[in-house]
Amino acid sequence: MKKGILAGVAMTIAPAIAAPAFADDAAVYGTFPVTLQGWMGPQTNSVAYTGQIARQVLHDSLKKLAGKGNGKPNAALKAEMMLYYEGKGKNRKVLAPSSKGPFIVKQKTVGEISNPNLAGKTYKGTVSGMPNNMTGPELIKFWIGKAASANKGVDMANGYNYPQLISKFILGAVFYHQAVDNYLDEKMTAGNKPNNKPYKKGKHYTGKEHSWDEAFGYFGFPAHGLKLSPSQLYAIAKRKPEAVGFADADGDGKIDLYDEMVFGPAYYAAGADKSKKTSYAQTIGKAFLDGRKLIASAGGKALTGAQLAQLNKYARVIEDNWEKTLAESTFKYAGSCFKDLKAIKANPSDSKLLGKYIKHWGELKGFALAMQTGRKNLGDTATRLNRLIGFGPVMPNSSQVTDIDSAGNYVKDQSSGINEYMGHMLKVQKLLVDKYGIKARKNDQLSGMSEMLKKLGSGSAAEND
Amino acid sequence: MTVLDWVGQEYIPQLLDGFLNPQKRVSLIYLAIAAAITIGWSLFMSGGVARKAIDHARRGLFGRHVWMSRSAHGDYKLLLANHAVLLLIAPFFVSRMAVATALFFFLTEYLPAGTAILASASPLAIAIAYTAFLFLLDDFSRFATHFALHRIPVLWAFHKVHHSAETLNPLTVYRTHPVEAIVFSFRAIAVQSVSISLFVFLFGSSVDLVSVYGVNVILFLFNATGSNLRHSHVQIRYGARVEKFLISPAQHQIHHSIDPRHRDRNFGAALAIWDWMAGSLCVADKNMELKFGLGRNQATQTHRLRYLYFSPFGELLSSGKIGINPVNLNLRDWKKNAI
Repeated sequence: MKKGILAGVAMTIAPAIAAPAFADDAAVYGTFPVTLQGWMGPQTNSVAYTGQIARQVLHDSLKKLAGKGNGKPNAALKAEMMLYYEGKGKNRKVLAPSSKGPFIVKQKTVGEISNPNLAGKTYKGTVSGMPNNMTGPELIKFWIGKAASANKGVDMANGYNYPQLISKFILGAVFYHQAVDNYLDEKMTAGNKPNNKPYKKGKHYTGKEHSWDEAFGYFGFPAHGLKLSPSQLYAIAKRKPEAVGFADADGDGKIDLYDEMVFGPAYYAAGADKSKKTSYAQTIGKAFLDGRKLIASAGGKALTGAQLAQLNKYARVIEDNWEKTLAESTFKYAGSCFKDLKAIKANPSDSKLLGKYIKHWGELKGFALAMQTGRKNLGDTATRLNRLIGFGPVMPNSSQVTDIDSAGNYVKDQSSGINEYMGHMLKVQKLLVDKYGIKARKNDQLSGMSEMLKKLGSGSAAEND
Repeated sequence: MTVLDWVGQEYIPQLLDGFLNPQKRVSLIYLAIAAAITIGWSLFMSGGVARKAIDHARRGLFGRHVWMSRSAHGDYKLLLANHAVLLLIAPFFVSRMAVATALFFFLTEYLPAGTAILASASPLAIAIAYTAFLFLLDDFSRFATHFALHRIPVLWAFHKVHHSAETLNPLTVYRTHPVEAIVFSFRAIAVQSVSISLFVFLFGSSVDLVSVYGVNVILFLFNATGSNLRHSHVQIRYGARVEKFLISPAQHQIHHSIDPRHRDRNFGAALAIWDWMAGSLCVADKNMELKFGLGRNQATQTHRLRYLYFSPFGELLSSGKIGINPVNLNLRDWKKNAI
């Protein structure tokens, strides 16, 4: 009740506070002029990333659907998931993020934003962290098929939580991959999508403007995100009542998914930033805004070599920090799995603990695979991550999925056991710290050692006996 | 950073920390306790006669000869110079965290069955076990290092600097050659890394230390019960029975004695059991007339900083001693006077 009143008050005063503050603000990725030379149309804003936000919504909705199964094969559910993954229907409902209490979402259908699909933008390379050399779309479709017949999307026997696997992998295989390996990579070269031509014939924005905007849309950051703290970004993603006041930038009482919502990639960046040891969301958001300002400053002319070089510097800042957020998330869930296994060892018959472990493993695996869909080949790091994590979690009876047969059934074998696998989780954490220098390190299972060392002091080196 | 900045921001604050931090032996709280114990002991030894007690305490800890001797000046110079040297070379030491992490992964690799095997033990039991283990390993390693410093000539050349003190005061604990300080650093890194990695490995998470003012409770008791009087002229004995288990201040003074019968005795820090087992224990007698240093007629230059720093290198170069001295290893000879 109290929360409702507070939210109501927040909603009432939000327009007064938010609307004037964010309008035409230099820190908002909102309006940039139309610079395309010779354009005579009525448009005044060249910013557009509707397709990317629609894909964020498709992803959230697909994740929700993946947890709807009842444990029996369900062709209708599978078809509905496929509609959200590779379909094009305009009337696809926004299943998530949906309205929650005073947090009222503006759009009811995906088509109100745009009408794309996810499959066409999924990483087409081979996913070496899973069996059978599946490509990104093949792996997601395989998981969709499994999710349709799993109870609430979870296979307790083999250890797979499909909503988590599908969701976390898409955060990399679609959003991160498209942003850093496409729009911020080849489309930031001189000859590709030049700034003195429209992105496509008939469009009012230039090639570089729209390429940059599309990468921004994949980050899932609200237009006024630079004005928000990590906790505020986090609260928006969680649709908390108190978030209405700072999410609803235009003060219309509704949260516009297009430019006021926080989606997956930005949510995980903010999650790490809440530690106060990192500022991924702000760093990435600022690099996007600075890059967009630079493109606008070219006034519709082709970018000079110096401008392109500077733009690519911003792109690399975005890429490096985005990659680190994925590494931070992988790190976090490796720590969660370690803690879960420890609890399972102490209480092997508790199925809730097992469910938690399987959920965390799905997040760990999804993020570890997501890391491998970027511009760079991770080489040895990817090999080590995949070997340490395996194709499936080591179950309490030491069994582990080692392959998938031609009929799509899991093949299991005895692993070397939970204890060794716990060691693997710690090695994953160490590998990520060593390779990426990540700082937030949530669920750091080795931080205890550093705290213990601090307590012991320096060892009084010069004291003589 | 200029030299002045460095002195103001690092050298002086950390020097002062040595006297304020209860993890350090010469913390003011322990020095105050040592002074109180000296007064109590002096009253006890003089049968409650105040004048005798004052004279006893003066000769033991508070006298001018204790704090203002040439030897004491040598202690202070080494303390101040070493502090600078160690601050400058500390960044080049191997990180304790790196060693602990490497050991931890070594254990998970070669003893996977032991990972978090004791996770269900009570936190109190774990904390007590960790505190006791850490203390025992630390104390044993001090004994073993000290033993090596006496028995291996190349190390003895540097440890002699400590034994060149002719008067003892609590700051003599810092009369240490920098090379020896590096040896002590490696010892501390080894002990802390082994203890922490082993316990985190076995219990699956960080482990609490039973502590007082953030210091291992056993170490706190050691320091609070007069560890500073080991380097003093206050001959506190615990009695022959207790001195088989705990090293008394008087026993450590025996260790510094130039009497040949006291040579290579009482290497232990807190516990006497290591000396007892090794046959190097010597319990204290009443009213011992002890003379400290390297020998009779020790040259006054042995307290000059230049001599203290460079003579070990000169000695090594001229003698070519780099191995274990066979004479020192004649166990029968030095066991003869052990209890």
